[in-house]
Amino acid sequence: MSNSDAGKTAPVVDFDTLVRRLDDAIAALAESRSFTKAAKLPRVFDIVRRVLLQPGGCQAIQDRAEKLEQAGVFAGTDWADPSILLPNLTTYSLQSTHPDTIVVEAMSELRLLAVALGHYLHPSVSAEQAHHYLTQVLAINLRLLSGESGEAEREQGKLALVSRALVQHIAAEIGYEHVIDRLIDEIWRILEQRPIQVNSVRQMITQIALCRSDPSVDLGGSGQGAERLISSLYGPTQACREDPGIPVYEERLSHMDFGALQSEATGFARSMHDTGLVSPYHAAFLRYILTQEQPMITDALGLSTTGRDCLMCYRSLVYRLIEESVFPETAQGIYGLALLLDRGILYQPPIEPALWRQIQLPLCQQARNRIELAYGYQPSARAWLLQGVLNILGQPLGVGQGNNPTCQAARALSMWAYNDPDYLLQMVAWAAREDEIVMHFEGNPVSSAKSQGGVASDVTLDLDPVSLVVVPHLDRIYAEMGRLCIGRPGDPHQWVNPEFHGWSAGRGFRINVDVATGNLMELEDFLRHFYACYHPHCNGDQPLVHPQPAGVAITDSAARFIGWHAITVLRVAPDPEGVMRVYFFNPNNDSGQHWGNDVQVSTAKHGERFGEASLPFEQFASRLYIFHYHYDPLEKDEPVEVDDEEIRKVVARVHRSWGRDRLPADTMQASQPPSE
Amino acid sequence: MSEENYDPNKGYIALLGWSLNAVEAADKFDRRYVVVAPDWAETYCKEHDIPYVPWNFERLNDRSFEIAQTLKDMGVDVAIPLFEETVEWAGAINSVLLDQPKLFGQSMLLRDKALMKRRAQLGGIRVGIFEEAHDKDDVIRFLKRVNQTLLKLDGDPNDPIHLKAFDKAGCLGHRVIRTPDEVDTIPEEEFPVLMESHLDGWEFAVEAWIHNGKIAFLNISEYVTLGYSVFVPATPDLEKYREQVTREIEKLIKTFDIEFGVIHPEYFVTSDSTMYFGEVAYRPPGFKVFELLEKAYGFNAYQAMFMVFDPKTTEDEVKNFFPKEVVDAKGYAGCFGVYPRRRVVSKLEMPEETENHPYFESHELTPPLEETVTKRTAFGTHWGLVYFFGDDAYTMRDLLKHQEELDFYV
Repeated sequence: MSNSDAGKTAPVVDFDTLVRRLDDAIAALAESRSFTKAAKLPRVFDIVRRVLLQPGGCQAIQDRAEKLEQAGVFAGTDWADPSILLPNLTTYSLQSTHPDTIVVEAMSELRLLAVALGHYLHPSVSAEQAHHYLTQVLAINLRLLSGESGEAEREQGKLALVSRALVQHIAAEIGYEHVIDRLIDEIWRILEQRPIQVNSVRQMITQIALCRSDPSVDLGGSGQGAERLISSLYGPTQACREDPGIPVYEERLSHMDFGALQSEATGFARSMHDTGLVSPYHAAFLRYILTQEQPMITDALGLSTTGRDCLMCYRSLVYRLIEESVFPETAQGIYGLALLLDRGILYQPPIEPALWRQIQLPLCQQARNRIELAYGYQPSARAWLLQGVLNILGQPLGVGQGNNPTCQAARALSMWAYNDPDYLLQMVAWAAREDEIVMHFEGNPVSSAKSQGGVASDVTLDLDPVSLVVVPHLDRIYAEMGRLCIGRPGDPHQWVNPEFHGWSAGRGFRINVDVATGNLMELEDFLRHFYACYHPHCNGDQPLVHPQPAGVAITDSAARFIGWHAITVLRVAPDPEGVMRVYFFNPNNDSGQHWGNDVQVSTAKHGERFGEASLPFEQFASRLYIFHYHYDPLEKDEPVEVDDEEIRKVVARVHRSWGRDRLPADTMQASQPPSE
Repeated sequence: MSEENYDPNKGYIALLGWSLNAVEAADKFDRRYVVVAPDWAETYCKEHDIPYVPWNFERLNDRSFEIAQTLKDMGVDVAIPLFEETVEWAGAINSVLLDQPKLFGQSMLLRDKALMKRRAQLGGIRVGIFEEAHDKDDVIRFLKRVNQTLLKLDGDPNDPIHLKAFDKAGCLGHRVIRTPDEVDTIPEEEFPVLMESHLDGWEFAVEAWIHNGKIAFLNISEYVTLGYSVFVPATPDLEKYREQVTREIEKLIKTFDIEFGVIHPEYFVTSDSTMYFGEVAYRPPGFKVFELLEKAYGFNAYQAMFMVFDPKTTEDEVKNFFPKEVVDAKGYAGCFGVYPRRRVVSKLEMPEETENHPYFESHELTPPLEETVTKRTAFGTHWGLVYFFGDDAYTMRDLLKHQEELDFYV
């Protein structure tokens, strides 16, 4: 089973030297006079941060917790008195973009950990108190355990690694049993979004499994819901229930009759469609029946009638895909294959030949290197890429940007996989074979090989195989298109988005932020236009034809502005309760984010399809700052039809959140009802 | 605090100017001390029990005697200048405290770069061509004359000349002028200035602790690029001049009649091993060289300075205090002054290769306050220092040099 820990490769640093420097800095702080403490703190904080970024860093700080506290790192701050600390506030400090805030929080947690474990007798807090506090901290920051980063973590950059390492370290030391139920809920919440990248989910499930099988851990009544998760990876069917290992399982297969095999097939399919996770045994099974019982593949993939038809029509292609890409390491591709067949996209004429090309595609050295670095050498870089292709075509909304500022590239991949899959396959072929993608900007070729550099200085490895190969190219092209717009008045997305994403992105463009000042601009007009284009009650019930790029102002759970973010509007429709909602794709790895006030992005139970995020129309509009539209008679701007009250509510929401500090001087009264 | 912990057999020292590191060094040392600083330091000193006398150091005037008398009444034995601006104050005060009127004259010599050069010349020390300028015409004339002397023809590229304020520390106000056009860029208020011919050579600095007219410790600081980086001890390439440097410093001690204190001269050594004297300061050097020395040798350079100033210090104490130059160093300590390279910056971002380098110690950079970077006209002030420590002099040198090509602010 693949446990490649992608994206966490720490740069090579001499840890011993670093820790020695830390000890020097602590000593210098401890020996300094009260009046020079403040001047010596920055050095300690900076080195602590560097230590925390290293594997084993948390332990090193924990070991020095007492010395650090006595040297005075907390002096004069709230952290000096641990008995007044509130677990709730740790969420904010751990998501901070200020290194010192995270560092002081980390030092404080690790100090309490040392206290809880009895290594540090603290004058004002007992081991029990510290333990209780830490379990609360864990419960509140579970999301950091899962490693799925939202926009807030992404804005933090490398600092997010510190927060994550810290919470994981505390969990490992304190024990997962205290948070296991919350962890299980969290895993289900993420799985409901059906991400392509499930490494971190797999890791968490593995942790839970270890925890359950450890006789020294008393789980009490908790951890009951873990069964389905654990079995989906380690024993989804009768014949592999006790996780016997692949060779034993293969041996068992060879003795099974038709009925037993049939029951295995349906067992695998049920488990896979239940969780979106695929067991390595499933891969072993599929490879076995490919040689012995080909018709059973339909059941092993759990196909719908469409999928079944597709499989029948393109049998040789599908068999070949399984042969070339489905291995225990790449088992997750089975889910992609099943959904790809169910989507029926093989009926589009270019897809079949494009997949044949993909099967035979030679990889250039650069692409091979990136894949091998992230996923290892087994079974092969080509198989990994093919698995990635199956997954992205099967789960177009499962693409995530990883810990990279490349939301535009991830969004483009998802958009193409969703409505232009043969174009996507072309991009993959160019990037993987030629190590170059050429797109056109207003008629002029833009090459990824000749571009100066992308938005991201270095695209990390925590990505699915397709993104891993294609995103660095797209990112450079995107940045280059931006550079070609330098000097034009207004926001460059206006020209870049349609050229970058393809003709289906509308050339009409609206923005409600004045680029020069950052202030709100023509907000009401903007909103009326958005309602007129997108709201079914205003646009004559016209459903959205193609997914459209849009920009949102991301806010944190306190409704404070974090940054601009690229998303795709997929559709607008009433949910099961009749509330009109915007369903959209967010390239962040976890879309279920709280955007402050009552704006909680939903990912399930409100009519969302896998991978969709949704918000009531009004709430969505209140975070929107860019949208595109087609000049189309049906989508004409008809501002009169939009309800004034509704617009006022949205404007008020903008002013209460990201627009708070963006009111232009002359419209300070805009939030009050206009006097008519 | 040290109010109770000082040794009554040792001197009572006054620190002129406000430097946190110096105060801390004094507080941890075994001598009674008092800080003489402007009144904005008062609250801080009270809050932290730092002995303090308020004084605003402006130009010397009629009231100057007052502070000398105050300190004398307190029983202070000697005043120690921490900054260029307090050097003549120390001279004036010490001439009273130690009853040696010549100390004031000496400090005036050490404060005026033009006077200083003349005096050095009289003492048989080699200096470049220099002259005072009162306006732009003087500068143009000097530029032409220097280049005539060098037998340049019209149209040949000029050798540059250097302009420095008479009485400012280090690189402040330092400009390089190559063409008459560039003269126009000098603001009127910078005059008068000292002009010097350009010396093609290797520039380096020396810090020498002097006690009873003899060198107690001599450090050679190697500049990698002037105004950017410095490290101690120097590479063997430069340390091979130590004997010659020592003789030059002895000349300097004799010429300026220095009995005690810390001097910080700059020299050029040309390709034929001739030493040219640049200038000398009677105070701790900039670029945190004292901190680098502490890192490299383990002794506190401020405390060393207090010791050699103190008239009650014995020969034995001095002898036991200092380590042996170069051989006793635990490694090479260097620092790099960061200037933003881009015109517009939004954040501080330590280059990964710097942060992960085994020599990297720490940095004092702060996030930018403004997005637009002011264009550097003179040598200007860096935005903060980055510290390194390691065991190979050449690695250190190349590492510091390489930092010039990196962006710390993006």
